[in-house]
Amino acid sequence: MEILKVENLAKSYGELKVLKDISFSVHKGEVLAILGPSGSGKSTLLRAITHLETAQAGTIEICGQKVLDAGTYADKATLREALLKLGLVFQDFNLFPHFSVLRNVTEAQERVLRRGRIESANIARALLAKMGLEDKVEAYPCELSGGQKQRVSIARALALNPEILFFDEPTSALDPELTGEILKVLRSLAADKMTMVIVTHEMAFARDVADRAIFMDGGTIVEEGPAKELIDSPKNERTQAFLRRFSEGNSLS
Amino acid sequence: MLKMLWAMLGGSLVSVEIFFLTLVISVPLALPIAFGRMSRNKWIKVPVNFYILVMRGTPLILQIIFVYFAPYYLFHASYDRFTAVIVAFAVNYAAYFAEIYRGGIESIAKGQYEAAKVLGLTKSDTFFRIVLPQVAKRILPASANEVITLVKDTALAQTIGVAELFRVAQNASARQFSTLPIFVAGAFYFVMNWVVSSFFSRLEKKLAYYS
Amino acid sequence: MKRLICAALCLAAFSAAVFAADTSLKAVQDKGKLVLGLDDSFPPMGYRNDDNEIVGYDIDLAKEATKRLGVQLVLQPIDWNAKEQELNTKKIDCIWNGFTITEDREKAMSFTKPYLKNAQVVVVKKDSGYTSLASLKGKKVGLQAGSSAADALASAKDFRASLKDVIEFKDNLTALMDLEAKGVDAVVMDLIVANDNIKRSGKPYVVLGESLAPENYGVGFRKGDLALRDAVQATLEAMAKDGTIAKISTKWFGQDISVVGK
Repeated sequence: MEILKVENLAKSYGELKVLKDISFSVHKGEVLAILGPSGSGKSTLLRAITHLETAQAGTIEICGQKVLDAGTYADKATLREALLKLGLVFQDFNLFPHFSVLRNVTEAQERVLRRGRIESANIARALLAKMGLEDKVEAYPCELSGGQKQRVSIARALALNPEILFFDEPTSALDPELTGEILKVLRSLAADKMTMVIVTHEMAFARDVADRAIFMDGGTIVEEGPAKELIDSPKNERTQAFLRRFSEGNSLS
Repeated sequence: MLKMLWAMLGGSLVSVEIFFLTLVISVPLALPIAFGRMSRNKWIKVPVNFYILVMRGTPLILQIIFVYFAPYYLFHASYDRFTAVIVAFAVNYAAYFAEIYRGGIESIAKGQYEAAKVLGLTKSDTFFRIVLPQVAKRILPASANEVITLVKDTALAQTIGVAELFRVAQNASARQFSTLPIFVAGAFYFVMNWVVSSFFSRLEKKLAYYS
Repeated sequence: MKRLICAALCLAAFSAAVFAADTSLKAVQDKGKLVLGLDDSFPPMGYRNDDNEIVGYDIDLAKEATKRLGVQLVLQPIDWNAKEQELNTKKIDCIWNGFTITEDREKAMSFTKPYLKNAQVVVVKKDSGYTSLASLKGKKVGLQAGSSAADALASAKDFRASLKDVIEFKDNLTALMDLEAKGVDAVVMDLIVANDNIKRSGKPYVVLGESLAPENYGVGFRKGDLALRDAVQATLEAMAKDGTIAKISTKWFGQDISVVGK
């Protein structure tokens, strides 16, 4: 079943076209990696789908429900219902600093899903334990390392039982020695068949964990296909040029 | 001596009354004003901006006199002194607090709003549960300044004949031909502000659980 | 016939206008109170005693007068600088506070006849060596802002011109404090207030023999409140006739120095 379907999505900032005719879909249980240089529109694409930005044209369908239909957005109620099925993990974590780790994960459960306090706390504790953070439950974000914060961030998104989770460069803000712990979490989520779309520069990880990959450049999808195939033997010249920089050990984005 | 202290206590009660009533009105009132100031609608933003400019740009003593006497000249309306003092103070301090709130709100990272939105929190929940608590912590030092200034500004109420502490002290001085009452009044103000400072100190400590 | 009716109507309208305009006495009687505005740090005319009650020569006069008029006396301390505003905006009904009658003030409000004589005098420290107005040449003088001392000094043009500086204070006490601290060399103020001050404080001040201008104290009312003013005037004259004022004056000044009805 198609969890996400994007057709002819276009977005501009004034005169500047940042997304031009983007079309792709994500099936249930699939992990899609989005690769590309900076400025290619990868983040903007994620933000447009999660409604942090608005697109001017195209169609976005979430679990069969159209939130954007040929450039026209659905009404507030439909939008809200559909968007609750999405989760987003930010590059900069964006945890709520004045809440404890536990409360960061229970707040939206209580306020948005209207779960009871005890039920929310139980779910939160279970998720945090899965992330290896059971002893940090009463700590505050300022006391955590970057890797720990990102794990809390993932738990916070998972607590709302999203149908599909988006990750906007989840390891880019972390020190190299901490990226491992996040990739480990993502692998385990993939193994649990969580539908995910991950924007990343971690090529080895994308190759291993993603089912499919998309290479974006200049606001368009240049190439797409099975992840291993695209990364090992890219067909398009631009894809090849981009990936070559990585194999040369260059961490240019 | 005792009688003088007793009279000054009465005066300081008036000062404290002015203090609390002003805060009770201006602190909440400042929030919609801050929003007005940040509004994108120019029909709201421009008048609010002008009001803030006037309040902060003219002396409070002038505003007190205006609030008290102008209604008579304009509308032949009159109302009592104490009410006039509270109106003038509240409207003035609301402008200062509004700018403090605005500074605090604008300093909150966009990411907080985005995280809240993506989690499905309503705009109201986002503001009152995520943004405002963080703003409150950031604006504590500036707010403490304003509140301390307010304690001292209450002395201006005597301009329209309200018998607050300083006026009582001056009368006692006139009667006894000594400046001692003035210094005693100074001590009263000092004590009041010491209480205020301690309160804010405690509040800052309480909110220091995160940084 | 038409002209007669017209004239009668005009007269009626005119009288109605005249009498309708001056409801000042009736307004006070309806309200049941007369609001007296004063600077409550002006001994001996109106000031606060140790129990923080407002007392003074003017207060005693006003208490008796309002009793006779059948209304309650309400004492309202005000900022002296704002006295005209307070009166004109009807926050107070009269100014009764060692209030000097001056030409400018008479233009703006209605006064009773003088009830006490006063003079603007110059107060200096005993050991200062100043003995006359001339000896204050090139010196600094202080006075209460908005008071008739300022007017008197302005009228004494030669004296004013000879001074280095004139400093205005919120009230007489502050001016006298500056005199003590040698911030000013002399203070221009009411003779009656100066005498009371020197007597009660025992401070080494002296009133120069040369005074600036003789003055009269009166009670000030709004310009159009003639009915109210006349009623108070009549009451004061009655009080003078039956010796009440003499008693009050003796209480405050040791003798009858009142000039009501004299």
